[in-house]
Amino acid sequence: MRAGSIFYFFREAFKSLSRNKLLSFATISTISVCILIIGIAVLITLNTGNFITQLESDVEIVAYMDKDLTSESVTDIGEQIKEIQGVKAINFVPRDDALKKLQKNIGGKEYDLKATLGKNPLPDTYEIKASNPHDVASIAGEVGKISGVYKVNYGKGFVEKLFNATRWIRIISLVFIALLVLGAIFLIATTIRLAIFARRKEIYLMKLIGSTDWFIRWPFIIEGILLGVLGAVVSIAILLAAYSSLLNNIETMSFLPLITSSSILRNFYLSLLAAGGVLGVLGTFISINRFLDV
Amino acid sequence: MLVQFYNVSKVYSNGVKALDDISLKIDKGEFIFLMGASGAGKSTLVKLLFREELPTRGQIFLASRSVVRMKRAEVPKLRRNVGIVFQDFKLLENKTVSENVAFAMEVVGANTRDIKQRVPEVIKMVSLQGKEDSFPGELSGGEQQRVGIARALVNRPVLLIADEPTGNLDFETSTGIMELLYDINRKGTTVIMATHARELVKVAHKRIITLEKGKIASDNADGESIA
Repeated sequence: MRAGSIFYFFREAFKSLSRNKLLSFATISTISVCILIIGIAVLITLNTGNFITQLESDVEIVAYMDKDLTSESVTDIGEQIKEIQGVKAINFVPRDDALKKLQKNIGGKEYDLKATLGKNPLPDTYEIKASNPHDVASIAGEVGKISGVYKVNYGKGFVEKLFNATRWIRIISLVFIALLVLGAIFLIATTIRLAIFARRKEIYLMKLIGSTDWFIRWPFIIEGILLGVLGAVVSIAILLAAYSSLLNNIETMSFLPLITSSSILRNFYLSLLAAGGVLGVLGTFISINRFLDV
Repeated sequence: MLVQFYNVSKVYSNGVKALDDISLKIDKGEFIFLMGASGAGKSTLVKLLFREELPTRGQIFLASRSVVRMKRAEVPKLRRNVGIVFQDFKLLENKTVSENVAFAMEVVGANTRDIKQRVPEVIKMVSLQGKEDSFPGELSGGEQQRVGIARALVNRPVLLIADEPTGNLDFETSTGIMELLYDINRKGTTVIMATHARELVKVAHKRIITLEKGKIASDNADGESIA
């Protein structure tokens, strides 16, 4: 492709933008509404995902030791647990600490739990975190096989239900976003088709003069990218303002763990910008082909 | 031989039979009138030449290349060798005379230097000097058609196809356009002109092919003439 042609494509794209102000405005509005809706959906999904991940990572395995083990064999069991594949971290809770914790939680100053019970009824325990929370069941099984482990607890039943629910939430939100994107493509293609329709005579003429399809397409595609990116910028500005004010107002409500990581948010906004460009190109591409069939 | 039609038929998807077993040959440098009533198949025949339509049956050759078997990607090349003049001019209203003519060079990717040199040449050829910066809306019908002819000529086609070029013009203006087309023909471009302006054709003493219901009713290539 010659440099002169590239210059021609850009010149034509900008000319067309300024000549069809109303249609350009309509296209930008359509794209920015689509991206805004998609952006909100993605933001909700990201935050839900964040929340789910946090819930899942709270899942842990508690292994209770036999009470008559020596401290060496307890340490040895700890080493064995660490070697199990998928174990991220273990935390040893000595029985005395466990009792103190219990005392603090349910006991009061007025009576001493240890004195009441006569002896410490609690075993030494290991709290085990899995690298992937979905592996807890199998890890728990492995831990249970180690001799000297009296009992393993990981919230059996509840964990399976939780993971089942989170899996469905993820699938449904992905399907929802995919549907939104499809809808956006068709809506944008329809709007762009109006703009191309206004210039169908020019396209017909170009075809009869001997223009190649790509020579005709390029200015429209550049125009599509520009409209898409402009539309995305508008929606990003709205999302940016809305989300940061949400963050500021919700700070006190710590039970809602909103995403604040600037790198995640920056990638999110950059993706929306790219999505605008891609939607603009796709819409143009879908719309223009029928006019090239001369 | 520039153009060859072998047993060409065209039936449109709605069942209308526009051309029925047409065979004809056109030499380089000829000037040909294509006559016939509306619906006789003139426009269809013309459209087959630059492949706006494909024939249902038969073969068409332009400069020994099959127009029918040509790949889609080769069609632009074919069309650059064919200049087309329309009855309704098909000028771009938002472009000046110069820009309309330059447009035909731009859209086939010509470079700026060639465009700057060639456009004034053709504008002079069609006698529109001084009107370069006018918009089509500011020109008379005859002048607009001259712009259309300049645009068709600017890429130096071997064949100029004019579909009812005088259809929207009065007799006197038409005569001027005819003089221009004869002049172009004298300089070596083959011209095919579809028309039903009998009074223009009669005085021309050129080859006349008459279509009737999709068939060739007469062709004075061998010296026969129409009544």
